[in-house]
Amino acid sequence: MATANTPPQDSSAILPRYLRNPDVVFREEDEDGALLFNPDTNGIRVINATGVFIWRLCDGTLDVQGIASRLDQEFEGVPASEVAGQVQAFISEMVASGYIGTVVE
Amino acid sequence: MKFPLIPRTVDIAITGRCNLDCKYCFYADEMTSLTDLPTPAWLRFFAELSELGVMSVCLSGGEPFARHDLFELVDGIVANRMRYNILSNGTLIDEHTIAEFEVGKRRLRLDYIQVSIDGSRAEVHDRSRPASFERALRGLKLLKRAGFPVTVRVTINRHNLDDLDNVAHLLLEEIGLPSFATNEAMPVGLGCQNAAEISLSAAEQAQAMATIGRLLERYPGQLNALAGPQAKREMYSEMEHARRTGEKPTRWAMGCLSGCGCVFSRVDVMHNGSIVPCHMLPSLALGNITRDSLREIWQTHPTLAALRERRAIAMHEVAGCGGCEWAPYCNGSCPGLAFQLTGDFNRANPTDCYQRFLKESGRNYVG
Repeated sequence: MATANTPPQDSSAILPRYLRNPDVVFREEDEDGALLFNPDTNGIRVINATGVFIWRLCDGTLDVQGIASRLDQEFEGVPASEVAGQVQAFISEMVASGYIGTVVE
Repeated sequence: MKFPLIPRTVDIAITGRCNLDCKYCFYADEMTSLTDLPTPAWLRFFAELSELGVMSVCLSGGEPFARHDLFELVDGIVANRMRYNILSNGTLIDEHTIAEFEVGKRRLRLDYIQVSIDGSRAEVHDRSRPASFERALRGLKLLKRAGFPVTVRVTINRHNLDDLDNVAHLLLEEIGLPSFATNEAMPVGLGCQNAAEISLSAAEQAQAMATIGRLLERYPGQLNALAGPQAKREMYSEMEHARRTGEKPTRWAMGCLSGCGCVFSRVDVMHNGSIVPCHMLPSLALGNITRDSLREIWQTHPTLAALRERRAIAMHEVAGCGGCEWAPYCNGSCPGLAFQLTGDFNRANPTDCYQRFLKESGRNYVG
């Protein structure tokens, strides 16, 4: 629900869909998580099991709500609003660091 | 023992050919008895490494630049989302080579090229690496001038022991490298055959350690080593400190066969495709890249498991080390040298034995 300080959201607005950077290497390190490696920058990002789940969902077909919804189904017991916020924060950081991009129509 | 599901890096001797004939080449026997895999076999292997998530490869040999398809292989590494480095004698690097690196992402993905320099002048360098000083130095300078990430390895031996100050001056002050690495001529391969000529005695080891100590005061942090006199100097000092104070280091485990971490992150491949735990263990073939799954070998091969498990062996249980007063502070060092010199990788590497060093050098302690 919108508050006085936030403009009402347009439910018809198109949200960006997310896609893994094809140059980034996904390495399963162990049962606890994985590592993303960008061979162009030598950058490394360690992600936990939830991050791995999100990474795999970034196939260009889902926006942040779609990813949060799938995560919500997978990990029961976490409030949906909390999941969406955490997914958005994670993806924003991954986009900023170049591991994930958005689909250009 | 916990280890990553896939090796992080793979060290590949991509050729058994070399244009030099160095006195201490540890790979000389394999170079003459095995043949190089063709280009397509390596390209298929790089695709497998990419699929697994291997991050980088180290290209060595032989001399990597002796392969006429080297840049085709580099392009295969780049296309398969990996980084790479090259260990070279430097003598085949010319202006054309420098230009080749500018194509595509070849240079972007290059971590470094290591050139071997064993002396400050031809009369010293060429005694262990015959007729190669001027060409090696030219290659090194070309790389440095073009802004490449370039490192140097100095293999300390009897011929250059008295030249180390000049070598440091040449590399750090005249050429302007930020640092260089040292090692020593190991008694394996040609290094075994020529041991009397080039291997350091205990007294010469002590001299090398003293020289390196002095150089480190003049060039703090600019000399580094994973083996050889400098590494031993650091290890022995830590052993002395631990025995004196009871404080053990946190960066390595004392009192057990923990001297090698390679098999926890890396695996090696010889130029015929043979997969080995390390190039220092060439006879322990685990499989071949042309027919075996690297993932399966890495995760299930009993030899790799045994090499990882050696960390659980206490030094006082190691054959030949039971009564040693230094056993609680030792880590047994390189299993490759232990295997080549004793026939058992669950022994300690005799060339790094501190008790033996003290006895043979006539010193009380290294510090």
